[in-house]
Amino acid sequence: MNYAHLHLLLNHVPVIGSIVGLGLFLISFFGRNEDLRRASYIIFAAIALLTIPAFLSGFGAEQMIKGPGVSDALISRHEGSALLSLWFMEVTGALALIGIWQSQTAARPPRWNVSAVLLFSLLTVVLIGRTGNTGGDIRHPEVRSGQEAVAAEPTITEGTIGAFIHTFEPAPDKFSELVTASKWWWTFMMAAHFLGLILIVGTVGLLDIRIMGFLKQLPIAPLHRLLPWGLAGLGVNIVTGLLAFAGRPENYIFSAALWLKILSLLLLGVNAAAFYLTDIFGQVEKLQAGEDAPFAAKLVAASGLFLWFAVITMGRYIQPLTDTLLGTN
Amino acid sequence: MAVPEIFNTIEQSGISRWLRESQSIFGFYFILLFHTIGMSLVVGANAVVDLRILGVASDIPLQPLKRLFAIMWTGLGINVATGVLLLTAYPTKALTNPDFYVKLSFIGLAVFTMYRMNVRVFGDASLSEAAMVTKGKVMAMWSLVFWTGAVGSGRLLSETARYFFYGHPAGG
Repeated sequence: MNYAHLHLLLNHVPVIGSIVGLGLFLISFFGRNEDLRRASYIIFAAIALLTIPAFLSGFGAEQMIKGPGVSDALISRHEGSALLSLWFMEVTGALALIGIWQSQTAARPPRWNVSAVLLFSLLTVVLIGRTGNTGGDIRHPEVRSGQEAVAAEPTITEGTIGAFIHTFEPAPDKFSELVTASKWWWTFMMAAHFLGLILIVGTVGLLDIRIMGFLKQLPIAPLHRLLPWGLAGLGVNIVTGLLAFAGRPENYIFSAALWLKILSLLLLGVNAAAFYLTDIFGQVEKLQAGEDAPFAAKLVAASGLFLWFAVITMGRYIQPLTDTLLGTN
Repeated sequence: MAVPEIFNTIEQSGISRWLRESQSIFGFYFILLFHTIGMSLVVGANAVVDLRILGVASDIPLQPLKRLFAIMWTGLGINVATGVLLLTAYPTKALTNPDFYVKLSFIGLAVFTMYRMNVRVFGDASLSEAAMVTKGKVMAMWSLVFWTGAVGSGRLLSETARYFFYGHPAGG
């Protein structure tokens, strides 16, 4: 397993996943199928999470293949495309999570949310499709059109849609420069990252320790209402984390701690699925003051808390472990 | 004003050098990690109480949240201990940096507010929830402001440092 391998493995997920999610979402409009809509929302959220390691592994893959015989211009175009489509994917996932949250109290997500998810998921499928195409162009001359297919350092030609999208794609080097230009901006991003983690530990942590059996004077349903603040913190942290990575990928890509942190985040996604998609949440939600949660719930809560502290720990160790994984690993 | 010689003395000591130079995973970054964890405990728990008093998730009964103060004091204790160790490792870097004193001031104000809230809002068992909220509102707001200031100024420390060690000014 190396970066190129990892990237090839993971990059199928955003492409196919976003299409499947959109497909189910569109079908859900026929007969107002709320179950299907909820399923599509869950898929959007899961795909948004998995897009993160797909994106990160791209930098490692780039380090591995760039050189003579591989077009820097094609790599750069793909990277710029990924930098654009990533945000749309993450926003789609965030909107889906918001919709899932709101449909808990109201049986279905509100109108504005459905419209927003429709818009963003459509844009995401198009943009991610372009990212996939431009990525394939790097190593597959047989799929490139006309002049590009032949030249070793091809001049990039775009179709109509490609040219239109290209005007919005950031130039990767300029994007990195923008993020790292001001040390005050960088510090602000890191401060926001810390405030985000504080919100997560406070809100999710309190819910978890109650489920584990401490502070039994608290009923559980109201604690759950703190969660949007925790999710807002998570949102801030995903944005600042991805920006930091795009600004200085070489700082992060070779650190074993970064990958352990991402792995912990993915496991937290699994943890959330275990909590919300089984009947554990239903059992726990109505618990009143003094009542004990079932053992399965305690296990999920404990593992969740452990994983959040693993995320913090690995985050802190990114810097000292900066060169622990080298380019062709 | 010259940098006090005592900072150099501290930095030459065995413990200070071990903290800075050790390759062990239990070295500097381990202490920094626990400083981060302590921060998440004290500010996280305090933020939850503050948000509740300010009206977020208002079905959460307020009185039981008194138990969260134990977590806050624990987090603070961890951070005082780790903070002293971090200071032992880099006394010049911290104590010649005005931002460090800003951070300590914010922390002092935040902890003072935390203490007052513990005593005046949660310390009186006869208060109704509505009375607790009324009494605690202004404190809760300031608490959030002070902790945000503490976290922000803490984060700025590496950018505002004037010296790394005694005799080694920080570059541009």
